[in-house]
Amino acid sequence: MVPFRLLVYPGFLFLFFCAMLFSWLDRRIIARVQGRVGPPWYQPLADFIKLLTKEDVLTTGAHALASSVLPMVSLVSVLTAALYVPVAGVSADSFDGDLIVVLFLLSMPALTYFLAGWVSVGVYSIIGGHRSLLQYFSYEVPFLIALAGPAVLSGSWRIADIIAYQGHTIWGALTQPLGFLLAVVGLIGKLKRDPLDIPKAKSEVVGGPLTEFSGRKLALWHLALDMQTVVGIFLLVNLFLGGSRFLTGLPAFPVFALKALGVLLMLSLASALYARLRIDQLATLGSRWLAPLALLQVAVVLWMRG
Amino acid sequence: MVDARSTIPNAVKRWTAPVVRWARRKSPWVLHFNSGGCNGCDIEILDLLTPRYDMERLGILKEAAPRHADVLVCTGPVTRQSRDRLLRIYEQMAAPKWVVAVGSCSCSGGVFHGGYNIHGGIDKVLPVNVYVPGCPCRPEAIVAGIAQLLGEI
Ligand code: SF4
Repeated sequence: MVPFRLLVYPGFLFLFFCAMLFSWLDRRIIARVQGRVGPPWYQPLADFIKLLTKEDVLTTGAHALASSVLPMVSLVSVLTAALYVPVAGVSADSFDGDLIVVLFLLSMPALTYFLAGWVSVGVYSIIGGHRSLLQYFSYEVPFLIALAGPAVLSGSWRIADIIAYQGHTIWGALTQPLGFLLAVVGLIGKLKRDPLDIPKAKSEVVGGPLTEFSGRKLALWHLALDMQTVVGIFLLVNLFLGGSRFLTGLPAFPVFALKALGVLLMLSLASALYARLRIDQLATLGSRWLAPLALLQVAVVLWMRG
Repeated sequence: MVDARSTIPNAVKRWTAPVVRWARRKSPWVLHFNSGGCNGCDIEILDLLTPRYDMERLGILKEAAPRHADVLVCTGPVTRQSRDRLLRIYEQMAAPKWVVAVGSCSCSGGVFHGGYNIHGGIDKVLPVNVYVPGCPCRPEAIVAGIAQLLGEI
């Protein structure tokens, strides 16, 4: 049972499938909003295979070992985080305090992303890397505080307990609407999507830290980012969009999938509708508005607990 | 098309080759470089991104970094000044890579032909896979050119 959970559902294969599906849906939704048709369903898969088979160029001066290990570290930490994020109530493993481990593992890709810029010694890579670190400090603080809300409310740092608590009462997004919004904004920043795609803004820093990566490494980077999208969305669904009192096991899956697609729709619409922020605007927004609002939300949660 | 890795046994290659070819056909990422044209063709290329032509339907994405791109779409003749840069960008791209010359200038030098600062068309410097003539060429012609390239891959 455990190997099945690790490798097939809700492990690697399922996540891979979701990553491809979500990335296609995302591109498709954005295209539809812009009045275009958008790519066909196999597009992310074709991109992935093509990148796998392309030549792998190493820039002069780049650290060979680091630049091949970093994308793997990024992917592995996302996959490890996925072990503890339940899909429709099923997770590979769970223990008291797994939420904290998941949050830590989900912020590893930001660090590897910065280091990727650092080891590949390109001008754009280094600027992009620094931008990503600055962005990290702006979104991560409100994101962490916002995610602490459900945990404080249910009195447990175990994701399964938080889901169960919402099953008894109501959805976290209803008790903490502000926290949910902040978590979505934080997730957008974490995934470096429009409008917070400052570290990889094409018109400013070319490809950001990934400018000098090609071939297999680029494929792994893209896969890690797509999987991070999936795991991040699943995490938000678990923490804010509640469990179900009546459905368990397989029947719960369609409901869970609908909720996840709802969050994806929010992310895609945000990308399609808003223009990119400048880095100083983001830093101001993050520390002056998002973080205090997140603290306010936690204060309200503490008051609700009495 | 030479594969970068030759360590894969031939038996495996026979099975994977169709998949790889399919993936390359379905996902050409383009890099656009103007080596000295009048900007007319560049605007036509940007048209391809608009809802009317929507290149993403064909899996075509416009990339900003040479390392990510598969197809170099060149406009304009090669000037003495841009020659080295064009070569450098081409060398930065990861194999397998293709070149499409868009516009009369990049096919032959066009109206700039014989100018004191002009080398000629792109094919004076790089191996060109597909020529798309026109001054400026219509977006439909560019799509047709890229589609022809995809057929040849
Ligand atoms: S072909 Fe014509 S439109 Fe295109 S770059 Fe040359 S002169 Fe300009």
